[in-house]
Amino acid sequence: MKKRGIGLGCSWYGTGYGNGFPDVSSAFVEIHDDGSATVLTGAVDVGQGSNSIFAQIAAEELGLESKDICVYSGDTDATPDSGTTAATRQTYNTGNAVLKAVRQAKSSLLDYAAHEFSCPTSEGIELKEGYIGVKGDPSRCMPLADMVFQARLKGERFISAESSTARSTPVDPETGQGAPYWPYAFGCQMAEVEVNTETGMVRVLKVVAVHDVGKALNPTQVEGQIAGGVTQGIGFALLEELELKEGKINNPALSSYLIPTALDVPSIEALFVEDAECTGPFGAKGLGEPAMLPTVAAIINAIDDAVGVRITSLPATPEKILQGLAEKKEG
Amino acid sequence: MIEIKLVVNDKPYTLEVEPSERLIDALRNRLGLLGTKEGCGEGECGACTVIMDGKTVNSCLVLAAQANGSVITSIEGVGNRRSPHPVQKAFVEVGAVQCGFCTPGMVLSAKNLLDKNSKPSNEEIGIAMSGNLCRCTGYDKILRAVKIAAEEGKE
Repeated sequence: MKKRGIGLGCSWYGTGYGNGFPDVSSAFVEIHDDGSATVLTGAVDVGQGSNSIFAQIAAEELGLESKDICVYSGDTDATPDSGTTAATRQTYNTGNAVLKAVRQAKSSLLDYAAHEFSCPTSEGIELKEGYIGVKGDPSRCMPLADMVFQARLKGERFISAESSTARSTPVDPETGQGAPYWPYAFGCQMAEVEVNTETGMVRVLKVVAVHDVGKALNPTQVEGQIAGGVTQGIGFALLEELELKEGKINNPALSSYLIPTALDVPSIEALFVEDAECTGPFGAKGLGEPAMLPTVAAIINAIDDAVGVRITSLPATPEKILQGLAEKKEG
Repeated sequence: MIEIKLVVNDKPYTLEVEPSERLIDALRNRLGLLGTKEGCGEGECGACTVIMDGKTVNSCLVLAAQANGSVITSIEGVGNRRSPHPVQKAFVEVGAVQCGFCTPGMVLSAKNLLDKNSKPSNEEIGIAMSGNLCRCTGYDKILRAVKIAAEEGKE
């Protein structure tokens, strides 16, 4: 017989290295005389899309489009260290470093422009859609490229180097007190499963995943990270187990260590709550690891809801579910 | 060494290959077609998928000598930046690529499905793509992209 159940899982997760470990990202920025800018950072884009995020952050701050920003990343010869692509930290931490560096280069550009436009303060200068000019005075405005080109002829360059350190203090081992992580990521997911009581097989039919991302700088990437996290969570809950024997891995192949395939994934509905993180770049914070955390709890709870079997060790294999059903029958 | 003749991406080639040489090695090392990726090297992950005589194969499990006389399509023969295949266009549009290592194989599996079945059901798409593993995307956007490419092909 096939029985259906629904389960809920909630999570909170401290992003960044945490516990007082120095969590530093850096960036070099230059605004060029063709109206483009380069961002150099050690942050490695492993597919999650950090290069796109940094281009978006720089473009937003400079009144340009993402395509006008060239991001060089992860080159130990040329880029400043930005730590690992881990701990859900690149959008937040390196994003902050990029934003600080862009603002510094922009600040020297605005000072130069204020002088050129005979404006008493750089507060009166704005960058918009590739142009630089005096706020509210369209007659004093020119392409950004022209301004930077003229500046170059006078020996002025708009280059910056900045770094950003995440807020983290170690936890006192005596009292357990401290502020080990900032910011925290929150999420909640619901899963619907179908359990076959004859075979113990579990099929995940649907997952709805809601995550607090601060601000979704790139909604397509947010959806992609959520779907990726949920699918890894399904593997974690139902399939994946590293079998060790005398220190050796017994199942070091994808035929014996099973991960989800296209046939194992349900319909995944990704939703996000945008509650701006005031210390993050444009209100953003990380999502990478948090996306998979509630999935496991939601699936295990859904199995319980479907057949009344409480799974207490992962993965929830058909054998464990059948054993649970048998024990329940015996009472 | 063994002499083999094969057609790769519409071009005929005559190659001298080692008896134990795999098709993926011939494609990557002799023809310089580096778009075909080697993942597990034991036929489990599908990253090295190519289309051989109308069937998708793991090119790590096919000996180059076995490909004698065959017609092969690798990712380089599917499309390019200027004129992407509908599957490639859909992958870009929906954001179906993360690290990208599985992508060439995914695109070839999807292309071969749509070549044979222009109106696949969701289940048929799932089955066709199930031999290609992906650890980043959760397949969600990949399956959506294949659906979009199929829809566009119908019009």
